[in-house]
Formats: sequence, structure tokens, C-alpha cells
Amino acid sequence: MSILANKDTYVVIQGGVAGVNAARRMAEFCYLIKRSLNVLAFVYPPDAGKTHEIPYGSGLVAVPIYKTVAEATKNHSQINTSLVYIGADRALKGGMEALDDSHIKVVSMITEGVPEKDAKILAHHATKLGKVFNGPSSIGIVSAGSCRLGVIGGAFDNLVLSKLYREGSFGVITKSGGLSNEIIWICSQFADGITTAIGIGGDTYPGTDYVSYLEMFENDPQTKAVVIVGEMGGDLEERAAEWYGAKKRRVKLMAVVSGFCQESLPKGMKFGHAGAKEGLKGEGSARAKSDALKKSGAIVPATFGALGPAIKEAYQEMLKSGQVKEPVEPLVLPKLPKTIEEAIKADEVMVAPLIRTTISDDRGDEPCYDGYPASELINKGYEIPHVVGLLWDKRLISKQEAEIIKRIMMLSADHGPCVSGALGTIIAACAGIGLSQSVAAGLIMIGPRFGGAVTDAGRFFKYAVDNKMSVDDFLAYMKKNHGPVPGIGHRVKSLRNPDKRVKELVGHVKSLNIKTPCLDFALEVEKITSVKKDNLILNVDGTMAAVLVDIGFPVDSLNGFFILSRTIGLIGHWVDQKRQDSRLIRLFDYLVNYAAPKRREVPPLK
Amino acid sequence: MAKVLEGPGMGLMKKWGITVPHYVVVTSVDELAKLGQANEWLKKSKLVVKAHEALGSRFKLGLVKVDLDLKGAEAAAKEMIGRQVGSITVSQVIVSEMIPHKEEYYCAVKSTREGTDILVANCGGIEVESNWDRVKRLAVEVGQQPSGDAIEKLAKDAGFTGPLLKKMADFAGKMFTCFDSEDAQYLEVNPVVLREQDSQLIALDAVTLLDGDAKFRHPDWNFAFAAEFGRAYSKHEMEVMAVDSKIKGSVKFIEIPGGDTAMLPAGGGASVYYSDAVVARGGKLANYAEYSGDPPDWAVEVLTDKVCSLPGIKNIIVGGAIANFTDVKKTFGGIINGFRKAKSEGKLKNVKIWVRRGGPREKEGLDAMRALKDEGFDINVFDRNTPLTDIVDKALQKQ
Repeated sequence: MSILANKDTYVVIQGGVAGVNAARRMAEFCYLIKRSLNVLAFVYPPDAGKTHEIPYGSGLVAVPIYKTVAEATKNHSQINTSLVYIGADRALKGGMEALDDSHIKVVSMITEGVPEKDAKILAHHATKLGKVFNGPSSIGIVSAGSCRLGVIGGAFDNLVLSKLYREGSFGVITKSGGLSNEIIWICSQFADGITTAIGIGGDTYPGTDYVSYLEMFENDPQTKAVVIVGEMGGDLEERAAEWYGAKKRRVKLMAVVSGFCQESLPKGMKFGHAGAKEGLKGEGSARAKSDALKKSGAIVPATFGALGPAIKEAYQEMLKSGQVKEPVEPLVLPKLPKTIEEAIKADEVMVAPLIRTTISDDRGDEPCYDGYPASELINKGYEIPHVVGLLWDKRLISKQEAEIIKRIMMLSADHGPCVSGALGTIIAACAGIGLSQSVAAGLIMIGPRFGGAVTDAGRFFKYAVDNKMSVDDFLAYMKKNHGPVPGIGHRVKSLRNPDKRVKELVGHVKSLNIKTPCLDFALEVEKITSVKKDNLILNVDGTMAAVLVDIGFPVDSLNGFFILSRTIGLIGHWVDQKRQDSRLIRLFDYLVNYAAPKRREVPPLK
Repeated sequence: MAKVLEGPGMGLMKKWGITVPHYVVVTSVDELAKLGQANEWLKKSKLVVKAHEALGSRFKLGLVKVDLDLKGAEAAAKEMIGRQVGSITVSQVIVSEMIPHKEEYYCAVKSTREGTDILVANCGGIEVESNWDRVKRLAVEVGQQPSGDAIEKLAKDAGFTGPLLKKMADFAGKMFTCFDSEDAQYLEVNPVVLREQDSQLIALDAVTLLDGDAKFRHPDWNFAFAAEFGRAYSKHEMEVMAVDSKIKGSVKFIEIPGGDTAMLPAGGGASVYYSDAVVARGGKLANYAEYSGDPPDWAVEVLTDKVCSLPGIKNIIVGGAIANFTDVKKTFGGIINGFRKAKSEGKLKNVKIWVRRGGPREKEGLDAMRALKDEGFDINVFDRNTPLTDIVDKALQKQ
């Protein structure tokens, strides 16, 4: 048996994130004792109509969220308990709502910092209705083997260590959340564990006091002794003493009280709990409480540390008198399934990776590119082209190579609004499309006819050089197998109107005193083709391609240089249109050659 | 509970119709002089000047001067402002009119478990202390208002008669309204006096304790709460309070000068047991502290920094029970960062650190603490199998 919370306790949780966390902890306990999740509903108006997915074992339980307590109890008539996790400024309203619901018999408030006046109103209202209002600032209530309300009991491992999966013989009532857990643990190590443990909260006027619960424990035959952990301030311990001393009680009362240090500390000092304060005239001191409890016949160890041995002694007596029997521990207890991360950490599972990467790793405190930390690259003077080298070709390129890449990027960043890519982006921008989609619209244009010839140009020049072909053989080979040579030819530029960018790039590379077999070969090709037709010159794509192959970049990466550089321009065009707040554009009719058939009659459908 | 100084306390009473003497709170003599030009009463009345700080026994300290004219008040203000008393510098004085009177009475309202008590006596001042049986009580149930008849009966029981009976009942009724409307926990006026010139009851001195937790519904509480232990909060204490007000969970810190055992325990409940253990072992506390409710690690780091900065400490007690939901690894991470920072600043020399803790991720947290040994910290780490306060015994035995 137990008090307050048992196998028939079903819960609605009022509140948001903190309530969901509590539900997870409660689900762990339910899983440990093999009962279904006892949280049936949440009340949280902003999310009403949705569900929270609460992990239970290796699965998930969907718990619905309602707008009001009334809706929750209407849909789940077994609900008889509410846990309140609402903020202090709305706690009164939430608590009243729960108390006023006819299904609900117990309301436990976890909220801290509730105004004293509000707490008193709630307690008073509960008394009038004959219900239990526990808290505020309560850590929760746990009945071993049957029900957990709130996070009391802590993590799953602790539930097992503290033997909360089965009943013991000790009741626990504390003001402090942390100490409730400590006492539960002590009872499980020095005796057979607990029946029910209750955190009443450390406020000045908790809704339910020691006496209310002592009465309940007195009537619970399973509970043989009750441990209370008190502290200075208020008169709850004195009232407990009064209750205990009033007549012969079935349960043994054991108690410790904190706050003796107040005797040597400044008067009026504030401790962690709102209620932990002697009165203005020194009433409610630890000594007065401790004396009152001793006088009532309770066992009051001198220190908190002496509580364990005292509990042990009491338990041994119970065993001797046959009042209790040594508990039988279950042979097997459910183990909480580990998350995949925990299992991997514990070397318990092997996972076949879904993808493999060889270029970067962002799991540490900063990204590493091919193993080099980004900040270190920055601090040692490396620049964007080096990052390109690392991520595209897994090598740290030289200063000279970086300079070439930088120049290529600068030369190809943008070619005005009329080219396919920019026009695509501009049309999208004018249609009100966002940045990434508009830039993508431009990038889609990059292909065999626009900007996408770099890779192919590089591939064929490399093929020729690798196979030591003559220019004539190469041209014949191309004509026979592939058609026009990629990288040769320009729509506007010609021998008489040379492409300045090409001249610039070739000039720079040639000045470096490095071997450039592909570039040399491409220039030889140009000499022949441009004689045939004067616009069949080596264009910027072909030049880039030859140079990049010469400095060792893999053929498949070459189009990337154009895509990367041109993205700078495409972003520029989108921002430019956005800045001007450009209107939607469409083609003028006069720019279209309407070659479709003239208007005609539609024949009947056959 | 949050104590409010006399000035704002009287302001709240005035708001609810209780007559209080004219008063001003000033931070300089110039301010008082200027106010003197603008306010007739400052020129005409006899004045009282008191240091407006959270100080006990102001009379003995010479921080209350009575029966002054404005010139005298200015001189008294000049003498008091800037005076150093222990850790407090007097920064304000309250100047109020003296109320000529013959009779003194007593009225208080206090919170009880069952509701509210209204206390009235037909004696006042120090006489009340020695005649506590003359104080009569009216208990008002939670959520109720006292009836007019009930309050009159209270005044009558306390020995008030004739026209004074009605006046006292009215005064007590307003005290209740003020108490109830302002989320007070204790209001005391001692003495209530009968002003000779118009036979009105005046609140001559106010003790006001408000519920700090109710601040959210009192936008007009534009005053700071005063420390309740006879001194002002220190810089470090205020810094920790500032952090506390910002975070989920809590961090608390109070300095106790002269101690050598520093406290850095977890939990509102356990922290007091740790303090008790130190005192029981004959140790001297250098502070009170606690963190709880799974506070962010940076907040615990700030707290650790303040604890490590306490002068003359020999031991730091990093105690704690078995946490329910406070993440031990995370909060210990804050403490470890604080320790490292303190060490790099040359603090923690010859300071022994004692750790005991349990709770979520206790193993990781305790392992991280143990690893500090390798960094040269004098640290002893224990887990849940060592009883709560045994680390205090170990720490203080070794000295």
C-alpha cells in the first residue's frame, strides 16, 4: 500500500516544457514497474489540439494536449490527479482550475516562487473541497512500485538503486526536493526502502503539511515508520510533534531538522527556501523544533548523517519483532533502452554508416577541412582558394596556385545581366522569388552552352596532351568523335576583338615560370582554328580549363570554378533587383516570333 | 520575505489612506535645502532625521536625531550621509515631521497559515514588548475581509473607547487593506499616535515586509528590497542576486565575514544541513550559498567565482544530495570552470576542496571533478556512498 499516489492514479499535467520533462521521467518509472504511462493528458492552451510524444521503453506514447482541465478530464475520465508546472504568475488560476474539476482529487504544484497569498488561497480552497493541494515548490510524490508524480526519484539508474520498483516500510516527508531523494536512497540502503515519499515544498505555508500526511501514513498498514526532514521557520515541525505526542501512534516517527547554524549566523538571513526563516522573535528555530520532536517521543538523530544508522536500527527492530520481513528482490528488472548515441558510447552496438566523407568534419568545436582547423588556416594566412583546394582536391595548394584561382574567380564572377544565368536570376527576382531559389534559377542555366564547357574543355585538352596528339590529329579526333572543341569559339569576341580576360589570365600564368602543357596546347589549337574562322578563339572557359588542369585540379571539379565564381554575380543580381524593388516582368509580344498555327475551330471530341 | 525601508513603506501606507507624517528621503544636504524652500512643513515643523538604511539600533549609533529645525536637520543630514557603519555607507536619510502627541498605540497585521491576524493594543512604543497580553488579535480567514463590527470589537477588546474606538477600528481596517492589496507578509506600526492638533491617528514608524514573489503584479514597487540582517548587500552578493533573477533555477550567496570554511553546496534543503554540519564541527562559515533547480552552468560559474574570492578560506565544501533533475555534469562543469579561473588568478592557494554529490550524470560529473587533481587542485571527491555531510567532518578533522 501507499498513500496519495498508487496504481489507480492517472494524471493531467498543466504546463509546457517542464511538464513534458516530468512526463518523460514518469514514463521511465512506469516502464520500470511495468505499468502503462499514467500521464493521460496535458493542458497547455498554446499547443491545444497537438500531442506530446513521450518515450516509453523503446517506443513513443502520444499524449494529447488540451486547452482546459475540464476538456482533459472529459476525454479521460480516469484522471484524478493534476501536476501543475505553470509559471508563478498564472499558478493560482491553474491550480484553482484543477481543484474545481470534480474528477481531480489531488493537485501537486511544482511551480516555485508562487506568491504566499496565492498559495494560501489554493490550500484553503482545497481544504474546503476536501481535496489535497500539495506544494507549491514540491518536487513531487512517489509511491514505490506503483506511481511517480513529477521528477522525484531522479534518473532511471537512481530509481533502481533506490529500489523504487517495490514497496518498503518507510514513509518520507520533506520540504526539500534534493533531500527527499537522499532519504529515499538512505531508506533503501539502511532498510527496506519506502512506501511513499512526498515533497511538500519549502515555502512558508505549504498547502499540505506533515500532519496531513502523518494521518494518512498512520492509516496505511504497509508504512511502519515515517521520516520527516524539517528545517527552521514556521511551525510545521512543532505541529507534527504535537500530533505524534497526542496519543499512541502506530507509525514510528523519525525526524531531523536543519537550521542550527542560524544560532551563529546573522539574524534574519535568508536561506534557499522561502520558509526557512526564523520568525521576527526567533520562533521556529531548529532547536525549538528538534526539542519539540524529541519530547513527543520521535527519534531525532543529532545530525543528518546519523539518520542512516537510526533508520537501520529501527528497521532491525521491525525485523526482529516480525513486523516486517526481508523483501524479496526481483531477479530481473527492465532496463531502460539506451538511445543509439548512448549505446554506441558504451560499445554495445555497431552501426553501418549511411554515408562516408573524406573532406571535412564539424563535430569538434570548429570545422576541420581535410583535417586542418579553419581558425588555424585563417591565422596562418591561408585564404578562400586554399579552402577550395582542400575541399575539392584534398590538398593544400601553393601561394602561386591560390593566386591563379583567385584571378579566375575574379574574372568569371559576373558577365552582366544579359547572359542566361543572370537573366534567369533576374526574372526570378522580379517575380518575387527568394534568394536561394533565384540563384538556383540562374545556376540551372549552366550547362553545355553556357558556362558549363570548362570541364569538357579540360578533359579534351588533357586527353590530347596525355596522348601526345598533334593539333591536327586532335582536331580530326574531335571532329570525328565529339564535334566542336569545347573552350574554343565565342559569340562576340574574335581575333580582332580579343577577350581581355583571356589575355590577362594567360599573361599571368605565363609569367610564373611553371609548366603549362595544356595551356600551351590550347593556344596551339587556337592558332589553327582562328585561321579557319576568326571567332574560333580560345575562350575564357577553355583558358580556365587548361590552366586548372595544368595546376593539377581533377577534370570533374572544373565546372565548379565557374559555378562558384558566377554565384557571386547571381547573388549580386538578386540583391540588386530586390534593392530596386523591381516589378514583375514579361516578354513583349514583339520579341516573340509567333509561329504557331492561326486560330482555328476545335473539332468535336471523338 | 522582502524588507522595505521606512520611506517606501510609509508610501504604501499612504496609498491606502493611512495618515503618515510628512517625510522626504534625500541623498544630499543640497536636496534637503531645495525641498525646504518648496515645502512649508519642513520650515515650520520640528523634524526627525534618520539614516535610511537597513541598519539595526540606529539610535545607539547616533543615526537618529530628533527635535530639529530645518537648519539642524541639514546639519544632521550632513553628518550622517557618507558615514561608514560596518560594511554600509549611509547614502540616504529620511527627514520627517515630529508629531506632538501624548498617547501611543500599536497596530500590526501579519500573515498566518489560516489567513491574516490583525493585532491592536492601546499601548505603544517599548511598552508593548512588556505588555504583550494587552495586544488583542482578530483572525481573518484566507480570502475574507474583516467586518466593520469585528474590527470595532477588536478595538474595544483592546480597551479603546469613545471616539477613539472608531478611529482605531478605521486605522486597523486600512492597515488590513494595505496588507491585503500589497501582498504584504508583515506590517507593523509602532507607535500609532494621536496627533494633538486634530486628534487624528498617525502611523509614526513602519515595519513593512512584502512578498518578493508577488512583485510581478505590483508595477509600482519601484524601490529596492533591503537586506534583512542588519547590513546592506555586498557587491558580490548583489551580482549573484542579479544572476539569480535572470535564470531558471536559482543561485544564492551571502557572505559571512571572518569565516574560513566556504560553502558551495547544491539544494535549498541540503545547503542548510551542510552549514549546520560546519557549525556543529566547530568550523566557521565564510558564507552561505546554494544552487538548485538545474541552473545553467554559467550561473554556477559566477557563484563559484564569488565563493573562491572569499578571503582567508581553507576549505570549500562542494556538497549536495542526490539530485532529482539537476544535471550534475553540467553544473559541475560551471564549478570546474570557476575553479580554473580562480586558480589562474592566484586564488585557492592552500585551499582544500571537498566534493560529495549524486544525481543525473553523477559519474561523469564526479570523474570531471576527480580529474582536477591532475591540474594541481587539492581536491577530494566522494559519491553517494559517503553520507551527505561526512565531507564536512573530513574537512574539519584534518585541520
